[in-house]
Amino acid sequence: MLFLLLPCLLAAQSAAELQKSFEKKVTEFTLANGLHFIVIERHEAPVVSFHTYMNVGSVDDPGGETGLAHMFEHMAFKGTPTIGTKNWPAEKAAMDEVDRVYARLDAESNKGLHADSKKVAAIETELEADMAKAESYVEPNEYDRVVESNGGLDMNASTGEDSTNYYYSFPSNRIELWFLLESERFLHPVFREFYKERDVVREERRMRVESSSQGKLVEALAATAYAAHPYRNMPGGWASDIDHFRRPDAERFYQEYYVPANMTLGIAGDVNPAEARRLAEKYFGRLAARPLPSQYRTEEPVQEGEKRVVVSSPAQPFLILAYKRPDRHSADDAALAVLDSVLSDGRTGIIYKDMVRDKQMALGAGSQPQFPGGKYPSLFLFFVAPSTGHSTEENEKELYHIIEQVKTTKVDEATLQRVKTKLRAELIRKLASNTGLAVELCSYYVNYGDWRRLFTELEDYTKVTAEDVQRVARTYLIPEHRTVAYTYAPTASSEKGGVQ
Amino acid sequence: MTRRGVLCGLLSVACAPFFAATGQGQTVPSYQQLVYPPLKPVKIPEPVSFTLKNGMRVFLLEDHELPVINGLALVRTGNLFDPPDKRGLSTVMADVLRASGTRAKTGDQIDEELEDIAGSVESSMGETNASMSFSGLKETAGTVLRVFKEVMTDPEFRQDKIDLSISQMNSGIDRRNDDPQGIAERELSSIVYGRNTPYGWSIEHADMARIRRDDLQQFYRRYYFPKNIMLAVYGDFSTAEMRDQLEKLFDGWSPEQPPVPAFPPVTAKAAPGVYLAEKSDVTQTFFSLGELSGTLRDPDYPALEVAVNILGSGFTSRLMSQIRTKMGLAYSIGAGWGAAYDHPGTFRIVGSTKSATTTEAILAARAEVEKMRAAEVSEQELKTAKDAVLNSFVFFFDSPAKTLNRVMMYEYFGYPKDFLFEYQKKVAAVTRADVLRVFREHINPANLSIVAVGNPKDFGKPLSAAGNVEKIDLSIPPAK
Repeated sequence: MLFLLLPCLLAAQSAAELQKSFEKKVTEFTLANGLHFIVIERHEAPVVSFHTYMNVGSVDDPGGETGLAHMFEHMAFKGTPTIGTKNWPAEKAAMDEVDRVYARLDAESNKGLHADSKKVAAIETELEADMAKAESYVEPNEYDRVVESNGGLDMNASTGEDSTNYYYSFPSNRIELWFLLESERFLHPVFREFYKERDVVREERRMRVESSSQGKLVEALAATAYAAHPYRNMPGGWASDIDHFRRPDAERFYQEYYVPANMTLGIAGDVNPAEARRLAEKYFGRLAARPLPSQYRTEEPVQEGEKRVVVSSPAQPFLILAYKRPDRHSADDAALAVLDSVLSDGRTGIIYKDMVRDKQMALGAGSQPQFPGGKYPSLFLFFVAPSTGHSTEENEKELYHIIEQVKTTKVDEATLQRVKTKLRAELIRKLASNTGLAVELCSYYVNYGDWRRLFTELEDYTKVTAEDVQRVARTYLIPEHRTVAYTYAPTASSEKGGVQ
Repeated sequence: MTRRGVLCGLLSVACAPFFAATGQGQTVPSYQQLVYPPLKPVKIPEPVSFTLKNGMRVFLLEDHELPVINGLALVRTGNLFDPPDKRGLSTVMADVLRASGTRAKTGDQIDEELEDIAGSVESSMGETNASMSFSGLKETAGTVLRVFKEVMTDPEFRQDKIDLSISQMNSGIDRRNDDPQGIAERELSSIVYGRNTPYGWSIEHADMARIRRDDLQQFYRRYYFPKNIMLAVYGDFSTAEMRDQLEKLFDGWSPEQPPVPAFPPVTAKAAPGVYLAEKSDVTQTFFSLGELSGTLRDPDYPALEVAVNILGSGFTSRLMSQIRTKMGLAYSIGAGWGAAYDHPGTFRIVGSTKSATTTEAILAARAEVEKMRAAEVSEQELKTAKDAVLNSFVFFFDSPAKTLNRVMMYEYFGYPKDFLFEYQKKVAAVTRADVLRVFREHINPANLSIVAVGNPKDFGKPLSAAGNVEKIDLSIPPAK
């Protein structure tokens, strides 16, 4: 027993030591407008990674405009009044005209059966001409070109349920360029080529969701598990919403949510914090302070019975179980994370050993402690890709056996210890790259109010007992709060390449 | 309130396009006016290399930032050596090598031993090399290294793990038509290299049915011997101590085999045409256009990289500008020259578009290839492409692991140590005329194979507008 406790103490100590070493490397400051910076010095190589963490995501999409947070994310690469244009005043006038014509088109189309099809066609022709005119003033992809030609690496962005993230890396002599470009696009983004980009966003949905059986299944799962909370909508949004939002909608969204106090910026690498602060004041000080938007979102009512959803697909089957769990601030969060590790970490997780290795009913199987986000009450997932010849039903039953097992049998000390050591090692490995550091520290700051939580979280894990793991399994993994989602093959498959 | 915010922002910039007024009365420059200090010199670490008594090549590089030690071994073999009637043999072998454990310990015991200390040992098979890797916390790295060595030198191919691996391979074969993007990429390779060559064939149930334990043992014995292995170790250790530790660890493991022959040559002939794989459950068509490219040794390689980057790399490329930004036809579209170290790779364009615009997007992509051959690129395009390579060059050296892996890779394929710096110099010298010349010499639109995976009943313009369409049979043959 003593022997087992020892590494546990060591682990906690090392996390504290790591945190201490980071105290010296991390500088934080908040500008007068509320914008927060976290600077992490790492001088190993003359490179720097940047991360902009916006505390806004698809949960903030207005009703009927799902996918709008994601649409804005795309627009954030379109430039400004000085970047991406050949003649801004003329371009601006042309864009305004596009808006006016689009509004007329909408007004006519919205008459539905009474819409005058000739009128619609005429306005469409007019719209196309106006869009072509606006585009004639565009300097295509200039924002991207400046970043790429200056050696910017891995530039991209992503929109999730809870947050929107923008990131890339530069050689460290280009730090000022990042300050300039990043502040410009959030100070006065121009929503140019909006309707073309809307088509691109629509294609992204076709690729990720509509042409992927797992994409369709996950979308159906979220829409079923949540009755009211916006976690029911995927960040990509619903197809018809994407097809209908307008440029002023995205503009309005930007005005409401892209306020400095909602924005945290991480800079990790070969950077001087005093210089970073000077540049932050100079460039980001220009953003006007604005009030934070409302954080209230419809609360998900208590689920009162199992839900099931099936998706017909000629692809090989896939199964997901989802149980309601509280948000990331719950006192049970650490125990749920440990439960997840016990169930599915590496080759020693219970699910892998039972379903993949020994019974060979699954090609792959595992769990995920938190989906789709963590800001609001979320889902604890189990997912399975059955082996050929094994059904989703059979795998579902087996998962219930495993869940019953963690409810009735306490996990042994050796397993618990293994999981804790692993969580500590994972933390250490996260610290090995500029990109990882920039995102992790921003994310912990935004979600817990302090980047140090990245390290202190480990203390919570070390305190988790076998009783805690059993208790959270009993509390949350209950049939009444479960949603079961799976694909099934249509009976008369028209799929040429289908497998029997 | 919010509205005024917009007006202020727009007006101030409209009035003064180069200097925007700031909250604190500061002015900011435009990006064109920024002057960058010279980049600090890069410290390029020098790995220590030596050969163990048993003939294994070793590369060591200290990195004391975090208390972690990692290693990667390359074994000169690859799935190109799979027998034609047992395709997939090497992949199963590499999987079972790790999963099945050693003569002394089962794989399951090893799993627990490693995961108790947050360590890992992995084994995998690639086209032109096998890999074995390990990772461990400094305090327990000795144990991880010992397990790594035992797995590498003393495997026991137990039947239960062979069965598991083959069952998983079979399930994977059954799932291979579920990912349309994967189908497009796979079928293009098969067409470009030839379906009956190790570069282009696919693994079938019948292959799996023929694989025996004996085959795995033979494959292992033939290729896993010290003189055929390179090992790179990096992390928080002292070079002298690690060197001693490795000598001791591998002492006594000295099986010999004849040198491994060269990989089979690429024998493919161009197979131009349009190939269609029908898939009913998608709303997009995933397409891929390609032909054989070349190796990194080709003197034109640097110019080709620049040329193909202008065509299809990053957000500013022609394919992106035209097909995504201007036409709004695709979310994902790009191209790569795809040179390989030791055999011709594949030049390919990959993208996806809604079913109705399939033919339009494919024709637009092919037209961009033709445009690259018709006239010189603009000065700005050339500059952007070259600057992107040259200014991001420092990222080749931003972690010791990258440097170490590169040094080992160059030695594995017999490349000069300064290859990367020569590449840098040659990129800097590429001209617009070079871009046009190499594109004309190396990429022939008449040789392009075009693969489309989608739902032809929804295609707007018929695919035949791109050429004579040949159907791809996606059905998966049963074992017998």
